[in-house]
Amino acid sequence: MKLWRPRRADGETAAAASTGVPRGQPHSQVLRPVSPVFIWITLAAGLALDLLPWGRTPLVPDFLALGLVFWNVHQPRRVGMGAAFLFGLLMDVHDGALFGEHALAYTLLSYGAIALHRRILWFPVISQSLYVLPLLLVAQLASAAVRLWVGGASSNWWVGLVESGVGALLWPLVNWVLLAPQRRPISRDQTRPL
Amino acid sequence: MEYGPPPLFNQGVSARARLAFFSFLAVLLIVIDARVNALDTIRIGVGVMLYPLQRALLWPRDALVSTARYLNTVGSLTRENERLREGAAEQAAQVLQDQQLRQENNRLRQLQGLRERTKAKTLTVQVLYEPRDRFTHKLVIDRGSSDGVVAGNPVIDEQGVVGQVTRVFPMVSEVTVLTERDQSIPAEVVRNGLRCVAFGGSEPGTLELRFLAANADVSSGDTIVTSGLDGLYPPGLPVGTIARVERDVKDQFARVIVTPAGGVNTNGVLAVLQVTAAPLAAPPREDTRDDRPGRRSSHR
Repeated sequence: MKLWRPRRADGETAAAASTGVPRGQPHSQVLRPVSPVFIWITLAAGLALDLLPWGRTPLVPDFLALGLVFWNVHQPRRVGMGAAFLFGLLMDVHDGALFGEHALAYTLLSYGAIALHRRILWFPVISQSLYVLPLLLVAQLASAAVRLWVGGASSNWWVGLVESGVGALLWPLVNWVLLAPQRRPISRDQTRPL
Repeated sequence: MEYGPPPLFNQGVSARARLAFFSFLAVLLIVIDARVNALDTIRIGVGVMLYPLQRALLWPRDALVSTARYLNTVGSLTRENERLREGAAEQAAQVLQDQQLRQENNRLRQLQGLRERTKAKTLTVQVLYEPRDRFTHKLVIDRGSSDGVVAGNPVIDEQGVVGQVTRVFPMVSEVTVLTERDQSIPAEVVRNGLRCVAFGGSEPGTLELRFLAANADVSSGDTIVTSGLDGLYPPGLPVGTIARVERDVKDQFARVIVTPAGGVNTNGVLAVLQVTAAPLAAPPREDTRDDRPGRRSSHR
């Protein structure tokens, strides 16, 4: 486990800052290329976590939405709005929601993540959560707006918005887990500096 | 990938165009689903595909529950057994009496020439999960159209009415609970037979009796049961108890809040009443008056 942790020497950080390389974690070292299989496995795992019988347990975030935001930020050309839309349809059927409600929410989420992806990656992971929070909130508010428009929402629907906060708090963890396969083991070999 | 070619090279359709396309598609689906109900085949198809995954993911919880049950000591089981036996003995007298009363009732009804109350077939179902939807309260049960569940069937538990089947898949179905805003159920007050309609309340988890006059004879503590007027819910099923009555001088109607009787324990066993959902015939028009009142239409 220790082998995989990226370790930054002070000199490296300074050099990165002076050369204008983003200070955010993903750019502090050169990552290995991502495996598409891993992307789809993690998205399926997010879906599976959402399908677990959580019932009406409070504070359970939307894991699939987090996964979609992550891959849209990191690999916007591999995971796009089409995937978000299709996953949204699956969630609609599972939740017994209106057909297209989650699809709309995830499409907006995906667009926001793609639009912001160049900016988000410049920030350290903790600050990235502050960008993720409004994205998740917009997605939840979109489905709330749909429900209010169609007229089937109970009066205390806004309580669920806390889940977006929990999701944003989980962002550093998501970041750490989903980037783990791309990090290089630290090489002790002096002839290979990377 | 972050260091890909600059945007003047081909990146496919622009993000905004894709956003426009997919959100238009989503809104279209929402409108069709909300207004026309034409998407049920697609929904059932996706549901059937998703079903094995859903069942597989229920397994960890079921395993936990069964392990916990297994670890229950013999002592607690014996105690529970004793309690249940006592309960059964207590209820035996009622059950015997009930049989006699039912026969008597049938005879009286035959004498009166009334239609006999059909006994609805019940189907015992298990609640699989509650969808994580914050906007509506639904339950998903483990029987579907392959077991003869039909949308509209009432669902009860041992305490009273839980709700109504609102959507049916081949293997599972969705039950909307009574306290949902759009649900309504014809009911009557047991104490004086006052007819009313219970709607899902504005406060979560409650029911509301609407359109009762401000001076209506209701008080907190009254039991509400189904009246059977809609031909769907069999009469006499407990709906709830009146929690409080607010009579405002300015208002023409009383505000009656009802605590639901059933559906408190949402992870247990429920029963679907397989009534033939024959809606009552429309009241006969003046010119073609039918001399058989209360006739039920057999079409639909």
